[in-house]
Amino acid sequence: MLRIFITLILFVTVTIQGQNNTIVAGEKLTFTASYNMSGLLTDLAQVNMETSTVKTSKNILLRLKCKAKTFTKWDNFFKINDLYESYVSPNSLKPYLYKREINEGNYYKFMKYTYNHKSQTVKSLKRKRRKDGTFWEENKTLNIGSKTLDLVTTLYHIRNLDIAKATIGSSDVFPVLLDNEEHLIRITLLGKETINTKIGKKECYKLAISMNADNILKGNNSNLLWLTADANKIPVYAKFKIAVGSGELRIQSATGLK
Amino acid sequence: MRQLFIILSLIFAALGLVLSILPFGMIALTPITAAFIFGLIAFKISKKSNKSSKIIRGVFLVVIISLCISIYRSVFETNVIEEDNIETIKKEKQSDQESIDELESLEIEN
Repeated sequence: MLRIFITLILFVTVTIQGQNNTIVAGEKLTFTASYNMSGLLTDLAQVNMETSTVKTSKNILLRLKCKAKTFTKWDNFFKINDLYESYVSPNSLKPYLYKREINEGNYYKFMKYTYNHKSQTVKSLKRKRRKDGTFWEENKTLNIGSKTLDLVTTLYHIRNLDIAKATIGSSDVFPVLLDNEEHLIRITLLGKETINTKIGKKECYKLAISMNADNILKGNNSNLLWLTADANKIPVYAKFKIAVGSGELRIQSATGLK
Repeated sequence: MRQLFIILSLIFAALGLVLSILPFGMIALTPITAAFIFGLIAFKISKKSNKSSKIIRGVFLVVIISLCISIYRSVFETNVIEEDNIETIKKEKQSDQESIDELESLEIEN
């Protein structure tokens, strides 16, 4: 009887944790990405994160769209126009389709993941542009774990975590599919901090993000994320250290929140 | 020694001017400051040895121009992104439709 009771409690807890209580359709967050050049931060690009409802004949899904574009003053030197999008269940934030289109100078890459949660596989399509302008494609079927997510969905899953109940120093691990390889992203709660942002003074959860792949995110506690300590858990500020340098992401506006 | 500081101030002044014209933000301040310091040292040495300071004055002029350009750009230039053109909007709409078509064929648990 006790065993059944404990199993039931665990099941309810897991079900509640898996429910989306944070992300709603119609949310629009705008950020400015700055890059550290010789110790001085230079505004480089605008990053938009939007959510919207997508209807199919049988289902309603949530579209999580992230767009990064360089400011026009940079376009003659190095133009970036990247799009990341994920179609997820609005209730569980489970991903079903993921698309990533990278347009950086002459470099072009397109990735598409089609999830099959029953068989725990992902159909992956990679399309790249050759130097002569022609394209080549690679199709693969990848085995994934039951909790494996893509990059966009991971960010929204982090926002959906019940951080208020977490203790300082506690961490959570997310398996993330990146370039057809599964990586582990560890999120550690460092504490609470009140910071000034463009959308006002906000009390935030300070999180450290680390990855098992050393070539992507560098350093220990060098990649930090501040999420507002409210129901929306908006990412208002982020510091990152990558292979080619370091930078920041600062929020400019937030609309359509619940 | 004087010549070395003149050359250094000239190099940094030129670099400062180029960076202030390019969209590197306040990064131009580093070579501008260096050019000013080297120029000042060269100026003092020139004054002590009673030598011409024409080139150094020219360096100071370039430093002032670069500084003005940098400050003007950082104060008045706003960060704007390019609007999506018709072709991009069309491409995005097509991609959206393809996504919906793909989602139709998937088994989704809501």
